[in-house]
Amino acid sequence: MRSAVRTTMAVTSLVGAALSAAAAEPTGKEIFDRHCIHCHGPGSEPGTPQLSRTRGAERALLTERNDLAPEYIQAVVRNGLRSMPPFVPSDLTDAQLEALVQYLTAPR
Amino acid sequence: MKVANEFRVPLWVVSRGKNFAYGGAAPVLSGSVVLDLSRMNRILEVNEKFGYALVEPGVSYFDLYRYIEERGLKLWLDVPDPGWGSVVGNALDHGVGYTPYGDHFMMQCGMEVVLPTGEVVRTGMGALPGNNTWQLFKYGFGPYVDGIFSQSNFGIVTKMGIWLMPEPAGYRPYLITFPREEDIEQVVEIARPLRLNNVIQNAATIRSLVLDAAVFAAKSQYYHGDGPIPDSVARRIMEDLEIGMWNFCGALYGPPPIMDALWTAIRDSFSSIPGAKFYFLEDRKRRPDILAHRAETMRGIPKLTEFGFLNWNGGGGHVGFSPVSPTTGEDAIKQYRMVSRRVREYGFDYMGLMAIGFRELHHVTVVVYNQNDPEEHRKIDELFALLVREAAAEGYGEYRTHIHYMDMIARTYSWNDNALMKMHEKIKDALDPNGILSPGKSGIWPKHLRERSDA
Ligand SMILES: Cc1cc2nc3c(=O)[nH]c(=O)nc-3n(C[C@H](O)[C@H](O)[C@H](O)COP(=O)(O)OP(=O)(O)OC[C@H]3O[C@@H](n4cnc5c(N)ncnc54)[C@H](O)[C@@H]3O)c2cc1C
Ligand code: HEC
Repeated sequence: MRSAVRTTMAVTSLVGAALSAAAAEPTGKEIFDRHCIHCHGPGSEPGTPQLSRTRGAERALLTERNDLAPEYIQAVVRNGLRSMPPFVPSDLTDAQLEALVQYLTAPR
Repeated sequence: MKVANEFRVPLWVVSRGKNFAYGGAAPVLSGSVVLDLSRMNRILEVNEKFGYALVEPGVSYFDLYRYIEERGLKLWLDVPDPGWGSVVGNALDHGVGYTPYGDHFMMQCGMEVVLPTGEVVRTGMGALPGNNTWQLFKYGFGPYVDGIFSQSNFGIVTKMGIWLMPEPAGYRPYLITFPREEDIEQVVEIARPLRLNNVIQNAATIRSLVLDAAVFAAKSQYYHGDGPIPDSVARRIMEDLEIGMWNFCGALYGPPPIMDALWTAIRDSFSSIPGAKFYFLEDRKRRPDILAHRAETMRGIPKLTEFGFLNWNGGGGHVGFSPVSPTTGEDAIKQYRMVSRRVREYGFDYMGLMAIGFRELHHVTVVVYNQNDPEEHRKIDELFALLVREAAAEGYGEYRTHIHYMDMIARTYSWNDNALMKMHEKIKDALDPNGILSPGKSGIWPKHLRERSDA
């Protein structure tokens, strides 16, 4: 089967673009908590145990890692990875993705 | 719309475009421009007194849930498993959830629709200027047209009413496990009268062993061989996770004396099946646990937990096969045998659920495969075509399908020389003369592309 989202163009409604421009830009953490935490939270969500099984327990939680390159995170988010679906610009703008990547790669 | 009509550019409309298992946001026709309404995401009204919301297409279950929680409204949502989907898009694709309001299109009331030629119409009471019942009475006056905008390409829904359940006085989720494959026959036979009489109050589900196991575990934890798991491994998983070959997930809603009475009837009925085990949440100690997870979904909390089953064999690809059958034991076991035999023959584990509607079962089988392996794609295509053909030969049709198989499924609904499709095509030509909106959705093509579907 063709991989769905990758072959498409996304056009967002003009009304929506105007609205979202008016709202304050969310922080990297807010973006993570909105888009990623349901799968990458500390519980038994799908991303955390899958990373634990396939990358090792110490790499299970994205928010505790410091081995992820910004370009890699960007590529995974935009293209998806196995069972993780991709996020298109109408989910996350380039600027929001940038803020998210900074949050995940901040020194800790 | 105007531009698309002028330049004859096909548009494929999605609300949040999270229709995974059925094609995500992808169009049937390559080269279509995807009109993604994600950012049209205003919650226009939530009415606690009457229990409804009026929303735009970009509103997700997460958004609506947050809105209700922040305001402390005494309303419950009904959610499908993926909480990031659109309230509008899911209902339009005939999606299902798991509370008493599980049939989403049944709970839809009143729409605003942009027709392919650009006119804006409101359906039902919405057509009456100054009305105050748009979200209260579905039918208005004259033909009831809302249905033609579902699973179709006749218009773009820009507002939709959805009924919400008042918070019940009590809530008690339960799990009943059954140890043998063949139990499905008796389970469904027992469930039918209970559901018809509303003793089973919600859109309960009977879930197969591997589906439930896969939400939290990977196949590699139990089995390293090729092909489907053998019976001995199935037994080990059952023991390990304290689940059955079939797992009935339901919930009681209402004042405690009512829940007690309903539970007595449910427990007494299913007790006739040897080996049936009954659990409430407090009886389930291990975490993660399937009932602890389903308990949240059956009270309308949006999540993404169910994506876990896509990790079963690490490949992440999946496709849903969803035929409808009557709620009889005979049909359930026949369906189960037909589908599981083929799925295993092709080397996959059977991962299925039977969602109990009022009078029918949606038998949803998910085939999880390696999306990066072209050979697996080929196998899936072959398997899917076989499943569709064999189901249709026995009078079973799919309720919904992946973009890749829409023509195939549409062709099975062929009674009286394809009379229904011919009618769809007349409506299509009348409402969308330039054939720009979502060509190929549900097998409905505009005039100039119609030969494609015959190919
Ligand atoms: C693990 C997993 C579990 C799932 N569980 C469930 C489940 O429990 N229940 C369930 O129902 N589904 C389930 N699905 C399928 C699917 O993911 C959901 O139904 C999801 O809600 C659909 O995405 P969406 O709401 O963003 O709809 P969209 O992708 O926005 O819309 C779906 C389709 O509806 C039409 N449409 C959308 N918006 C409009 C509009 N405004 N006007 C006209 N037509 C429109 C389009 O044809 C579109 O392709 C599951 C999928 C996976 C992968
Ligand atoms: C639907 C669940 C889901 C959501 C939502 C999700 N992910 Fe994932 N993610 C996964 C899974 C599962 C994996 C592991 C895939 C595999 O099997 O390799 C993963 C893997 C990753 C990886 C790769 C890590 C590695 O070690 O290779 C990154 C980076 C990542 N996710 C980032 C994100 C970000 C950022 C978000 C939010 C924008 C997000 N994910 C949202 C499920 C999800």
